[in-house]
Amino acid sequence: MPNEILSRGVTRRAVLGGMAGAAALSIAGRAFAADGEAPALAQLVKDGKLPPLAERLPKKPMVVTPFEKVGTYGGTLRRGLRGSSDHNGILRMVGNQSLVRWNLEFTAVQPNLAERWEVSDDATQFTFHLIEGVRWSDGHPFTADDVVFAIEDCVKNTELYSATPAQLAVAGKPVTVEKIDDYTVKFTFAAPNALYLENLATPLGQHPTLFPKHYCSQFLPKYNPNIEADAKNAGVTSWTELFRNRCGDIEIPTRWGNVVKPTLDPWVVKEPYVGGATRVVMTRNPYFWQVDTAGNQLPYIDEINFGISQDVESLMLNVISGKIDIQERHISVLANKPTLSQNMQKGDYRLLTLVPSASQQCQIYFNITHKDPAMRKMFADKSFRQALSIGINRQELIDIVYFGQSEPYQAGPRPTHPWYHEKYARQFTEYDADKAGAMLDQAGYKKGPDGFRVRPDGQKVFFSVDVIPTLYPDLVDALELVKTHWSQIGIDMKVNTIERALYYTRGDDNAHDAQVWPGPGGLDPMLDPRDFFAFHPQGSRYAIPWTLWYTSNGARGEEPPESQKKRMKLFDEARSTADLDKRGATMKQIFDIAAEEFETVGLCLAVGGFGIIRNNLRNVPEKQPDSWSWPNPGPSMPQQFTFTS
Amino acid sequence: MLVFIAKRLLWMIPSLFAVSFLAFVLIQLPPGDYVTTYIATLAASNEIVDQNTAAQLRERFGLDDPMLIQYFKWIWGILSRGDFGISFEWQQPVSDLIWERMALTLVLALATLIATWAIALPIGVYSAVRKYSIGDYFFTAFTFFGLAVPSFLLALVLMYVAAVEFGQDVGGLFSPQYENAPWSFAKMVDLFSHLWLPVIILAVSSTASLIRVMRANMLDELPKPYVTTARAKGLSEFRLLMKYPLMIALNPFISTIAWLLPNLISGSVVVAIVLNLPTAAPLLLQALMAQDMYLAGAFVLLICALTLIGSLISDILLALVDPRIRLE
Repeated sequence: MPNEILSRGVTRRAVLGGMAGAAALSIAGRAFAADGEAPALAQLVKDGKLPPLAERLPKKPMVVTPFEKVGTYGGTLRRGLRGSSDHNGILRMVGNQSLVRWNLEFTAVQPNLAERWEVSDDATQFTFHLIEGVRWSDGHPFTADDVVFAIEDCVKNTELYSATPAQLAVAGKPVTVEKIDDYTVKFTFAAPNALYLENLATPLGQHPTLFPKHYCSQFLPKYNPNIEADAKNAGVTSWTELFRNRCGDIEIPTRWGNVVKPTLDPWVVKEPYVGGATRVVMTRNPYFWQVDTAGNQLPYIDEINFGISQDVESLMLNVISGKIDIQERHISVLANKPTLSQNMQKGDYRLLTLVPSASQQCQIYFNITHKDPAMRKMFADKSFRQALSIGINRQELIDIVYFGQSEPYQAGPRPTHPWYHEKYARQFTEYDADKAGAMLDQAGYKKGPDGFRVRPDGQKVFFSVDVIPTLYPDLVDALELVKTHWSQIGIDMKVNTIERALYYTRGDDNAHDAQVWPGPGGLDPMLDPRDFFAFHPQGSRYAIPWTLWYTSNGARGEEPPESQKKRMKLFDEARSTADLDKRGATMKQIFDIAAEEFETVGLCLAVGGFGIIRNNLRNVPEKQPDSWSWPNPGPSMPQQFTFTS
Repeated sequence: MLVFIAKRLLWMIPSLFAVSFLAFVLIQLPPGDYVTTYIATLAASNEIVDQNTAAQLRERFGLDDPMLIQYFKWIWGILSRGDFGISFEWQQPVSDLIWERMALTLVLALATLIATWAIALPIGVYSAVRKYSIGDYFFTAFTFFGLAVPSFLLALVLMYVAAVEFGQDVGGLFSPQYENAPWSFAKMVDLFSHLWLPVIILAVSSTASLIRVMRANMLDELPKPYVTTARAKGLSEFRLLMKYPLMIALNPFISTIAWLLPNLISGSVVVAIVLNLPTAAPLLLQALMAQDMYLAGAFVLLICALTLIGSLISDILLALVDPRIRLE
């Protein structure tokens, strides 16, 4: 049941059904005699190659309560990546050590590298107190200097980042970070930024803990006058390239391509993710700063082996034959579920349930800002969109394409969310072909001699809907069904299956009639409101020019109508409101207007994915949110996963 | 002969230029560029890439230059410094990425070629000499089966059987302990113990068609008067076959060597992806999809160079083997 959790700067959220109480919570700040360590590390200490455990851990290390039980050391965890550009597959498993983190229910922000924090009443100042004595994976202390360096010297360096990442800039001005003492840093924003803690818990919030000063400073001109020569010697064209190669960034492959870069992660790179690699191996970080409730240093598991499969089918084969320990990425489509269920015994695994954070499985975005005036007029006609919406037989679509595992839905937060908006979610979802036909007649789209409708200007009503078959094969099937439903009310549509880059190019050029995409914002409506108003310059596909106007403060794009401008203003307001009740009320106004305007046509509620966990792998929550903002399985803390013999 | 070879080598230079230019144009033809693809990948995980960052990336990669300038920069790098450029996706020099992959591709290609010929030649000769025998019918049936089954399907079925029924480690060309190990004798042995599965899969379809070609050629040659004459003069049946009809029937085999190399690389893309082989094909496909043009361009250029070398070899071999062909 929805459980409102109120905490500093945290929005209230629904607790995902069935997951309550299943959190692997950590309590920082408890004095603790940490004495357990992996046998291999104990041997290194004995040989004098590594300082003793007490010198590697903070005085008060963060204590993690294991999900099921205190684990045992050892083992190699096997997981799959796919081809190249799957760097986020590693990030999700290993790279989740930000200042704060999500709890398991995706409802509250919890301490991580910052053991506590204070937020000013106007939500412009955030003061973080770091855990004392945390060390980078090379043994060098992690302090406030590293955080200041990461933001002030790296992220705010305009040669490295021509624009400050969106999270760290408010009202067009980047954040200012200052050191109070060795373990205290203060972030000051130019305007209220009430969502900052939540943003900090997402992968894109990792910048403050990404760049170790003692290592990365050698790649900045400020600290190294010979940097250009070094870059030339390293065979790259500029120092910025050298910096990216050695220190990486949140979301680029080179983050995992350098074995010597110190990190704060539970495992560090042993065999790097580089071009042509067939696997990536990560090995335990001897300086990892968390312990379990019995005082054993985490992680339990020695190594992680990411095999790189070029093909999902061969990944599936590895899963079925028991060669993968935990996997949901790439195999989590519904079509694989029967195969994976049948082979549970043979592969000796159990199923993992993913709770979607998305709202909509398939959102149809008619281009209301179409370049062709006649098409624009048609798509901008609200009754045209409403008629098309009730002309879709959603139940048939759900039964055939989604095995009955969904319900008709338009947009907005999911039904379990406290901000759920009944009208916005359910309007125009009932199937009524006769009424749809009548509405189209009335809007001036009469049937021609061939049974298809004609626009008032005499042209046949015809448009194409772009979809990427390689990315979302189910959406192609869904659209094929919608096509037959629409042909029954006299609307001729073409399912336009195209390649991914072309899809984006068409969107960027505002050259599309309509496009489909899953609609986000089901559990995280504040983090991605692209369907509620023209927010996302690539994602709000019903009005890309309006989003450009919004993101460029009116410098580019096309001025949107009043109702959009009102929502943009409301959202800016909500974003800077620390009071949760007030924020919820503001968001409700946005949903009210969005429901009234009915810009996007949704098909059905996003369907949950699933994955597998080998039976001998324990401490893994079997129900997890599925989201980029909650980068599953990372926030369930793989460092406390353990193997039973 | 030497003059011929020298001439051919000279001709290869303009051919390579033409081919590399065409390859570059073709890679650039699809809409968008590497940055578009990169943004698309990030946006799939809901990240917003602002227009400034995109413009900065384009500038960094030189994507704003006209295509001709990009091409000449690339070619000049190759000619002057042997520098094939940087892979956008990996931020690594292309030359680091391609050599090992190309070497493994050649090993796989040659192994497949040898396997194909070793199976196809004797069977082709046998089914021509014993035309309409039970053996001939058996091999003919096998031929059609081999041609009809797509190799990726065969790969999937064999992998499934091996992995699920026998618990074998399939996919890849190395055991885990050798995957990133330096080259050694043990690693070579490990490679060959993994090579047989892809070789069989790749050999099946080409074997089938080669058997048919061999059989038809032999059937053409066998009734010719010189065979009857030789037989009348008392030549043993085996020597008779080997001496002339086989040599002449080999002609199409040898003249297609040039196509074999590129065919084995492009024809094995799907199999290599399914079987997870660390050959050039999957990397080339990925580079093409990401519009990582220097990496893709380097692969295409190398494959073309191999084709040209292959056709030179086949011309030389033809001159040696077929008495009817003269170079002068």
